[in-house]
Parts: sequence; structure tokens; C-alpha cells
Amino acid sequence: MEEAKFGDYVEVHLGKTIYEGVLLESPEVGICLLKLDNGYNIGFNKKDIVKIKSIEKAKETKNKFDIKQDKTKPNVALIILGGTIASRLNPGKGGVDFVESPEDLFKYYPELFEKVNISKVEVPFMKGSENMDYKDWQKIANVCEKYLLDGTIKGIIITQGTDSLHYSSAALSLFLRNLNKPVVFTFSQRSIDRASSDAELNLECAAIAAISDIAEVMIVGHANSEDDFCYALAGTKVRKLHSSRRDAFKPVNRKPFAKLYKDKIVLVSEYNPRDEKKKPFVDDKFEEKVALVKFYPGQSPDILDYYSEKGYKGIVIEMMGLGQVAVSGARLSWIKKLKEVQKKGLIVCAAAQTINGRLNPKVYVTGRELLETGIVYLEDMLSEVALVKLGWVLGHKDWAKNIETVREKMLENFAWEISERLEEE
Amino acid sequence: MVDYEKIGFKAGLEIHQQLDSHKLFCKCPSVLRNDEADFEVKRKLHAVAGESGEVDIAAKYQSALNKEFIYQGYDTTCLVELDEEPPHEINIEALKIALQIAMLLNCRILPISQIMRKTVINGSNTSGFQRTVMIACDGSIETEQGKVGIDSVYLEEDSARPNGTRDGKEIYKLDRLGLPLVEISTKPDLKNAKHVKEAALKIGDILRSCKVRRGIGTIRQDLNISIKDSNRVEIKGFQEPKIMEKCVELEVIRQKIFLDKGEKNNSEVRGCLEDGTTEFLRPMPGADRMYPETDLELLKISKDVLDEIRANLPQLKSEVEEYLRRHGLEEELIKVLFKSNKFDDFKGLFEVHGNARLVGRLLLVYPKDLAAKSKKSLEEIEKILDLELIGFILDRVNKSQLHEQDIKHVLELVLEGKDIKDAIKLEKKETGELEEKIMNLIKEKPGLSVNAYMGLVMKEFRGQISGGEATEIIKKFVK
Repeated sequence: MEEAKFGDYVEVHLGKTIYEGVLLESPEVGICLLKLDNGYNIGFNKKDIVKIKSIEKAKETKNKFDIKQDKTKPNVALIILGGTIASRLNPGKGGVDFVESPEDLFKYYPELFEKVNISKVEVPFMKGSENMDYKDWQKIANVCEKYLLDGTIKGIIITQGTDSLHYSSAALSLFLRNLNKPVVFTFSQRSIDRASSDAELNLECAAIAAISDIAEVMIVGHANSEDDFCYALAGTKVRKLHSSRRDAFKPVNRKPFAKLYKDKIVLVSEYNPRDEKKKPFVDDKFEEKVALVKFYPGQSPDILDYYSEKGYKGIVIEMMGLGQVAVSGARLSWIKKLKEVQKKGLIVCAAAQTINGRLNPKVYVTGRELLETGIVYLEDMLSEVALVKLGWVLGHKDWAKNIETVREKMLENFAWEISERLEEE
Repeated sequence: MVDYEKIGFKAGLEIHQQLDSHKLFCKCPSVLRNDEADFEVKRKLHAVAGESGEVDIAAKYQSALNKEFIYQGYDTTCLVELDEEPPHEINIEALKIALQIAMLLNCRILPISQIMRKTVINGSNTSGFQRTVMIACDGSIETEQGKVGIDSVYLEEDSARPNGTRDGKEIYKLDRLGLPLVEISTKPDLKNAKHVKEAALKIGDILRSCKVRRGIGTIRQDLNISIKDSNRVEIKGFQEPKIMEKCVELEVIRQKIFLDKGEKNNSEVRGCLEDGTTEFLRPMPGADRMYPETDLELLKISKDVLDEIRANLPQLKSEVEEYLRRHGLEEELIKVLFKSNKFDDFKGLFEVHGNARLVGRLLLVYPKDLAAKSKKSLEEIEKILDLELIGFILDRVNKSQLHEQDIKHVLELVLEGKDIKDAIKLEKKETGELEEKIMNLIKEKPGLSVNAYMGLVMKEFRGQISGGEATEIIKKFVK
């Protein structure tokens, strides 16, 4: 007897009891899954199975789905990087994994084609965003450059997993210089196989943003829990603030560029307009030896030794309140150690733990004491953005060799990362 | 009369029963709200093509596609109902209740099962699917017309509650969404209209012996019916089993009329109306599109859990009835007891003191009588006549320190504010005095019949003594 394969219609014999159904791959070792005729999946411990008899071999089903081209609509390039938005159920496995081809993805999103013509699709890699790093950001930037320079393309949509999306958007905001057209990141928090997926509105609005006048790197996603409109959020003034809600990405300290509806766009705040004459370029130099440390009460400053000794070039400390860590008078003061490591050449920057609001070291005596050690206070810059920016600034060797230049560049506003006026959503 | 066998009658039941526990995939309480919602959220659902690229026919019919829905939430709902948070682990209590029901239906429990998503895009589920898991199969129940097979038992989430429309948008309340529900489907073994009703009642009986919700809307029965050569019809919305029998008869006739004309009825879902007739609701849905709930692990039922449940299986209502009957509780009181919420009180008192009849009276009859007589509310009376007091009285009766016929009077004294112990003493004294007076009366007029004395006593002591009490005393002195 031929061995039963996944997808076969089989009989599972457990002593006297026999179950019939389609044999599925199980997400767990030692268990075999069966899809019954009523659609339900049930499982068996492999050791309890006497035999599995194949009744009917699995049918090979290959559905071809062609990307439809409509030359009358504006061209948009799509870059797919993985994440929930590019995942779907693998019916043979009973789990979720990435789609195998862009065509596969389009099957789920026919609405994406209503306003735009997806003329180019690129998949530089497929990974969960938690596995991404600066090399991936560089890869994305270089793919983007090609389409930024392509006059037939109106804008770029990039789909990525949400976990590190605000790092990617910060990196691209800095890497893509002299930007001439929209670069739009979008995502989904609900998998695309469900009727309630947020991907549909997000993608439709991303398409609107991609052909808009906003020549910025932005994140487009649900503005609230409703399927009503999305925000176009500045790539450097946005943070994932919820682990599961549709509106996980919220603007911080700056209003969104725009509100995006299925059929219209409402401009909200200042942005750089589309300019076909601009010559964009990629500046993706990056120093990997940078770190982000969150200060907590009672934390030993010895942690700074670790980074210093490991050869780190820069560190962002997420400080409390207006910019505080433990100072003179505390059981474990950071003052001495901060002076020491900075003297050895470690760049120390400060960003806010509170996420919202601006640092101001001058309000309290303690802040002034810290300021005097040489720390660069980064105003209202988000700590994640600060980390990416520090890596980018220190990646420029000519800037990095002078501490004053580093300070100057860290406080120079490249892509809205510092707000002169704090605004709320 | 319809000859069900001759016409090739086939019917199976599908019963949905809400369980009395918190929600299935979050910790929200299972409370239905009638007050104004705390917030509203507008959402859309999209048709999701299956793996084959086809959209389900029922899904197509639901013009729901890309329609907007309004969901109303409360402080008793959370992000899980809103489809803004992944499901939490399955509610273990609900799972145990469902397993208990499956066992009482003599089913085979599935040791490993996968929680599934059943596509539902009429808006009644924020996610676009209903979470459901098959927990058992191949059971049976005994009926007077033979065995009825139980095909399968499922544990699933209830849907959101429709709450009208606004500007053409359907409104749903989130309060019911996620409430644990057991679905039981029988095999098509039902032989005739009467049998359908009997099986429904039998399953209802089994359900009510477990921790399930009671009242209107907590149980929903659907019926699949066909006769030879006709198309299967699903009938929904039986408010009570009573109407089932009539509805089945009418549906059989309806299907037969088509066949007699050489036509065929449509395969469709119909709703049962109050008079037992049915109306068209929607076309029969295709096979449910089911796929795994990937946010949750496989559901495994351990042997320990099964042993624990098996050791604590409840008795069926019919078995309890039989038990009460055997111990002398009258039919009338059995009925009253099941309608009341005092079954546990009854059981507790009966187990300690015995005397089902008297326990029944003390719990169910006397409080009402006393309320009527004293013009106090039943609640006030029951507050005073609490379990402790009833227990005390039963104890005294068992020790022959109090006559059953005196209880009512003692209770009246208690309601007047007397301590129960004093009331019993007083009653004894009063009865003693009365007895003496009756004895004297008999002595004065010797030689009469019991009935004659009865007349005299009642004339003399009306209001102080009941007929029964009088007879009893008279009988002590007259042979």
C-alpha cells in the first residue's frame, strides 16, 4: 500500500474506530490532523494510529491569477516584505505563512487596483519584521531609488510587518534624500484571510497616498477602530502603540500629513510636495554599533561599561520625565560613569520614555547636572527614531570623527524628526 | 394522517444552547444589555475568496458585501469582541459544561480537536467568522420510538445581537458575541412529527440538567426536513417545542404539494411562524467555509478532565422527577419546584430531614399562603422563613415535638414577631388548652358520632382550629 500523503483523502484507523477525511500537516509534532467532511479539523496522537489508508490522492490545484494591468490609471510600484499583510492561511498546514507570489497576494486585494495600476512588484525578501535590521532598510532604500528615478511611477507602496515598521519608516525617511514622490508603508493587524481584515482599507488608502502630492516617507493605516479612514503619518513621528488594534500606529508630537478616505484626501499638516524635477538619492551609510537603553529606577550605570567595552560608538538612553536618570544623591548615581564613557568617545543621547512630549534638561537641577556631562538631548525625537538616526549619523565617517558635528547633525531636522511645535492627534 | 414511513420522511435536529459561563474566548461576563450602548464602531466586511477563488453562494446572497455595520459596545465587552485583540484561551468552565453535555448524550469525546473559523459575513461577527470546535461525535439518546443518533457536539461562540438599522446600516450589539454555545446535531433518525418533538424535549431535558442559561432566546432549535424526492429544507425559529409537531406536519404537506404537481420545493432556510406555518428566509447555504483559528493552539482534552467530569455527571430532570415522585412529592409540587429556583434548597433540606412532601409545602406553599393571609409580600415572608427556620421546624416535626398540622399556626406566630421556640411552646399550650376544651365538650354530650362532634367543635372554636386538627383531636377521645 502506498503511503498516505498530506492532502490525500484517507481513513485513519484507531483500533475499531475509523475516521475519514483529508490528511493535514499538523502544527505540532506527534499529532496528525484530519479535515472531516463537515469542515472541522480533529487530531490524533500518532502513536494511537493503527494505520492510515489513502482513499483518494490529493489533487494538484494550481490557480493562475494574473495581475491585471490598466494603463489608464497612474502607475504605482509595490514592494512586498512579508508580515501579516503578506501572510495567509496555509490550508495544508493549519497555520499561517507567507504568500508564495505577488499574484497570490492580489487575489486577496482586488480593490487595490481601483485607483492605481500596480505596474511593478518587487519582493526583495520575505520576513517577519522582528527579524529585520539595518541591512534590510538599506535593501529597501535601494529598491525604492530605482522607482523614485523611474518617471513612469507615481509613487511607491511598501508592505511590511508591524513590529518594527516605525524603525523602517524612520530609516527610509533618513536614507532617501531629496525625495520627489510618495513612499508609503502600510500593514495589517488582522490577517488577510478574514473578512474583517484591516488590510483592505489600509491598501486602498495607501494607493491614494502613493499618487498624492505628499512627497514623504509615511505610514498609512487605520486612524481608529473603524473602517472609515486612515492617517498618513510622518515616518519619523509615529510609533506602534498597541499590540493588536487596527489603529496601532499613532502620531506622536506631530499631526498626520493627511486623512485618507477611499475616495478623497484631506490634508492636515505641512509636507514636502511632489516635485518631479528633484533628483532623489540614497544615503544609507550606517554604524551598527549603536544601542538603545531604557533607564529604570535603581538601574546600575555599569551597563554603560558594557557598551563602552564592546566598542559601541553611540547610545540612546530613554530617560524618565523631562530627561532624568539617577544623579548625585542617588544610591547609584550615573553622573560619574556618564562622564567616563563619554570621555572614552561614546556618544550619549537622551530621548523620552514618556513617548509623548519633549525633553527639557534645564527645568531641574538634576537635568542640568546631566547636561553638563555632555549628553545630547534630542528634544521630542522618538527614542526608536533617535537610535536609527544615531546609527545613520555615525555611519558618516566624516561627521563621526567630530563630536560637535555629531551633536549638530543629531539636532538637525532631516525628516520632521524634531517638532518645533508639539502637536497632538 | 400522514404516513411518514411511506413518504420517506427524514428529519434531524440542530440545537443551540447558551451555556451559563463567561464568554468563550475572553473574560467578559455573559450579560445581555438593554441599556444604551457605551460606544459604537463602524466596520465593513469584505468577501474573502476561498482557496479556489470562489465566493460562497450564501455569502454572495448576503448583499452584506462591503456593507457597513454598526457595532454597539458596553463596559461588559472588550477588544476581543471588537476584533481588536486575539482570542484568549478557551473558557475551561464552558468547555467542561460542553463535555458534560456530550457525555450525557453518550458521545465519543475527541481528545484532540482544532478550533475553527466558520466564515460568517452577514455582520453578526465582527471578525467575519465564528469560532467553533467539534468536541464529540457518535452519541445517541433513547426515545419511545427508538434510538436517535447524535451526529456531533460543537462548542462555539454566539453571534452579535441584531439591533435594528440606521441609515440603511445594520446595527449589532456586542453583548451576545462570544457567549459560549453548545451545538448538538442529531442524525436524520427522526421518524415523524411526534418523534421530532420528543427528541427535542429529551435533549432539552439533558441540557437543563447542566449549567446552561435559561429563558427566552437561550436555546434555539433548527430542523432539517425532507421527504422522498423532495429537497431538504431547514426550519429555524421554534419558540417552543409545542409548535414543532404542527410545523413538521405542515412542512411535509407543503413539500408534498410540490411533488404532487410534479415540481420540487426549493432547498432553502425557512422560519417557523407562531401558527406553525413557515416563511422563506434565505437560500440554503453551501458547505461552511471552515479554516483553522490560527491564533489558538490545538485543543486537547486530557483523560483527567474527562474522569473528573464523568465522576460528577448531573442527573437528568426526568430522573430527578422520578426520584421526587418516589419520595412522595405530589405532581403539582414537582411542577412548581421545577419552575421555582428552589431546587437546591429542596434537595438540601430533603437530604437532611427527609419528608419530601412537607419540605415542598414549607418551601413552596406555606410562604404563599401566609403572604396572602398576612398581606405581607412574599419576599418579606421568605426572608423570615429562611432555610434555617424551615430546618428547625422539620427537626421538631421529626422529633415529634411539633405536629404537622400546627406548623402553619406556628409560622403565623413567628411572623407576628415571636421567637420560633416560643411559638412552638405557645402553640403546644394553645393546642393543649383546646384539647382540654374539646374533651370536656365530648364528655358533656357523650355517644355522638365523630361527624356530630366535628360540627359542635367547629361551631365552638371556628377560627382557632382547622377541620383536620379538630378531627384528629376528636378521634383521640371517640373510638
